[in-house]
Amino acid sequence: MTTTGVEADPVALAGGPPVSLSVRSISKSFYGVHAVDDVSIDVVGGEIHGLLGENGAGKSTLCSMLAGLYRPDSGQIVIDGSPVHLRSPDEARAHGIGMVYQHFRLVESFTVAENIVLGDGTAMGRRARRAVEQQVDALAEEYGLAVDPTAPVWQLSVGERQRVEILKQLHRGARILILDEPTAVLAPHEADRLFDAVRLMVGKGHAVVLVSHKMNEILGHTDRVTVLRAGRHAGTGDTAALTPMSLTQMMFGSELVTSGGVDHPPLVPGDPVLTVSHLTVAGDHGRTAVDDLSLSVRRHEIVGVAGVAGNGQRELHETIAQLRSPMTGAVTASTLAYVPEDRLGTGLAPGLPIEHNLALRSYRRPPHSRRGRLRRRAMRDSAAALVEGFDVRGARDGMPVSFMSGGNLQKAILARELTEEHDVLVAAAPTRGLDMGAAEAVRAHIRRERAAGKGVLLFSEDLTEVLELSDRVLVMFQGRVVGEVTRGDYDVERIGLLMTGGRA
Amino acid sequence: MIGRIAVTPRARPSLAVRAGVPMLALVAALVLGAVILAATGADPGEVYRTMFDAGLNGARPIERTLTYATPLILTGLAAAVAFRMKAYNIGAEGQLFMGAVVASGLALKLPAGTPGVLMIAAMLFGGALAGAAWAGFAAVPKAFLGTDEIITTLMLNFVALALMNYLIFGSYSFWRDPTRPVPQGNTIPDPAAMPTISGRLHIGFAIAVLLAVTLWWVLRSTTFGFRLRTIGDSPRAARYVGMGVPAATLAVLGVSGALAGVAGAIEVSGVTGRLDPKALAIELGYTGIVIAAVARLNPLGVVPVAVFLAAIATAGGSMQSIGVQVEVVTLLQGLVFLSVTAGEFFVTNRVGLRPPSPPTPPTPPAPTTTSDVAVLEAAS
Repeated sequence: MTTTGVEADPVALAGGPPVSLSVRSISKSFYGVHAVDDVSIDVVGGEIHGLLGENGAGKSTLCSMLAGLYRPDSGQIVIDGSPVHLRSPDEARAHGIGMVYQHFRLVESFTVAENIVLGDGTAMGRRARRAVEQQVDALAEEYGLAVDPTAPVWQLSVGERQRVEILKQLHRGARILILDEPTAVLAPHEADRLFDAVRLMVGKGHAVVLVSHKMNEILGHTDRVTVLRAGRHAGTGDTAALTPMSLTQMMFGSELVTSGGVDHPPLVPGDPVLTVSHLTVAGDHGRTAVDDLSLSVRRHEIVGVAGVAGNGQRELHETIAQLRSPMTGAVTASTLAYVPEDRLGTGLAPGLPIEHNLALRSYRRPPHSRRGRLRRRAMRDSAAALVEGFDVRGARDGMPVSFMSGGNLQKAILARELTEEHDVLVAAAPTRGLDMGAAEAVRAHIRRERAAGKGVLLFSEDLTEVLELSDRVLVMFQGRVVGEVTRGDYDVERIGLLMTGGRA
Repeated sequence: MIGRIAVTPRARPSLAVRAGVPMLALVAALVLGAVILAATGADPGEVYRTMFDAGLNGARPIERTLTYATPLILTGLAAAVAFRMKAYNIGAEGQLFMGAVVASGLALKLPAGTPGVLMIAAMLFGGALAGAAWAGFAAVPKAFLGTDEIITTLMLNFVALALMNYLIFGSYSFWRDPTRPVPQGNTIPDPAAMPTISGRLHIGFAIAVLLAVTLWWVLRSTTFGFRLRTIGDSPRAARYVGMGVPAATLAVLGVSGALAGVAGAIEVSGVTGRLDPKALAIELGYTGIVIAAVARLNPLGVVPVAVFLAAIATAGGSMQSIGVQVEVVTLLQGLVFLSVTAGEFFVTNRVGLRPPSPPTPPTPPAPTTTSDVAVLEAAS
């Protein structure tokens, strides 16, 4: 995209050579997991540098190191030619790095001007306040980020709040701006406006790092792109020279399993057990999260839903599980087992013991109760049987389940849900955060469901897992199913492209 | 040294810990109280002895203490049941007043020849209904609109107090005795008075204890209690398995209000004998909240805590005889509650010294988090 009327004169504002940021062979691990592994990037003033990658590719960890939140295990950050140690957000700020988070960090009851100077020590006397308000007005004018400096933040729209965050960084003298998924919360016209402002910033010599997993955005608005995959540097290039295909290849790699997982005998699907028709659901912020979506799941069939997080998957499975109500459309399912994303808190009551949690679905009928009276002995006995049968470890009578590990919590949820009568299993991120053994146990349960004639709707951010387990894969993007791929016909590049909003 | 103190959560506190820690806390409070008393020139031994004599030593003191404990048990239960579901009913005070208003009204309205059993049953039932209805004014908006019950129940206390005062001091209402120039409630007929157990101790105490046991059993052994405990721990998990949270909110606040309303009815029938705002507005409802907190929201715990508090309170009058300010009583109550509540930390956490050298994991799957450590300890 081109912006007219802006002279690209980086020297004029920065007052010297253009700012440069280089990250050299930086690494960071958490508990032995390499979140960022030997990554190098160069960003210079005057460019918009895209940072692209799947969920968990390491984008956020990298940005957090640049913002001074995490310290790198090894590697170097170099600003304007000299190595720096960013030990705190304050130090990152002092070096001119400004981070705009996806979730805003504003005090709602304060005004725009108050939020902008929050933390930098300005006393807001009457005269200082007026001065700050004038500075904010001037900055807003300069970058086309119109917002009323005297308005309290709670009155502002999401787009306006984002402008406040950006103005705050500019006001503090940030020369390198990192925007973390800035359009995730914006309507399309607001996003256009944001990119106009970003263009103005780089026109004045700032460097902008744009974190995104939307292909179109990266291709349409950046000068160069760096792609991360599984914590590693997967490639850097000039945007003009890249195509959706080449980016997808970098993002997802080519070594993915494309068909035939273990123990996946072909089965003929039976009758539909779950039908979703023309479903529209509002998200938490009132935006349409699921948009006129239809799908069906049949017996003996695992249907995978692939997609980058935040494209309506959560709203979809919560609506299917009747935790949300749809605006329009309908969900038809006879009996449903549900493994929610949030294990402790939704799937299980964390402060209550295992025997209570395992009886959450069955407590109102024999043998667990009779005429309103609980049979505590029966509850304990069946809990013991489930713990044994599903290999749940670390559970004790009377001990809150919050003391158990993630894998065992997930097994406990499966134990409860799968022993209830059900025709279809809806599982959301069932292996997220689990160790290999527990994850494999969960996958084995899912395969067994398919073999037993149930339908399974599997939501997962792990594309490898979705492809390995599913008979069909639906790709979700911005609340819609944008593509469907059948087993044996899996084309990873095409799926990757669809997930990131490209057309295939 | 501080750096070597290790705090690990206890997965399953044993009975010894759950009962022993509050006992130690009580002793600690009394010791601390003794230090303060000594510092102010009083003889702690004499103060404690006098208090014991006045509150617990002998039939009369025990009767007095248990009579005073009766409404406190009920308001304590009212708070405990609601707080268990994280429905913060701060309105036991007002619900108690409304129970007293309706119970005294019924006692005055029913024919004086009504048998005592019927009369008292009507008063208790009417009081319960009035308390529940008063709680309902807060419960319905909470259940269906999500309003904050802390604010609404608290506000309704002032409305109930003003209403009760108006009936006696502000108008020539049905409740007021028309024969007296000084405003006073009309005396309820004899059959409306609670039978006594011994001396002034009336059967209301037995009713309160019975309700405590019943409530404990309901929470522990019924599907209603199961639902309530689930919602109290995680409303999302409850909704996810299809429990109706609004209905449970109405039920629990209703039960809570009813218990407070019964307290009001019992006070009228067993102690005041008339609608007596001065004798009723002594913060029985608010004290119930403190009692429930100290009893860790356990209905069975509410009874001893209420009795203990009542014992200290009834001893207040005897302090003047040995030249000590009555405020000493309040001070001791505060100390006891503070130390017992602080002791809670030691019930839910194991506090010990970290071993000087890094520990070697006893088994191959090394514990990675403190909770794992707790699990291993619980297993051993």
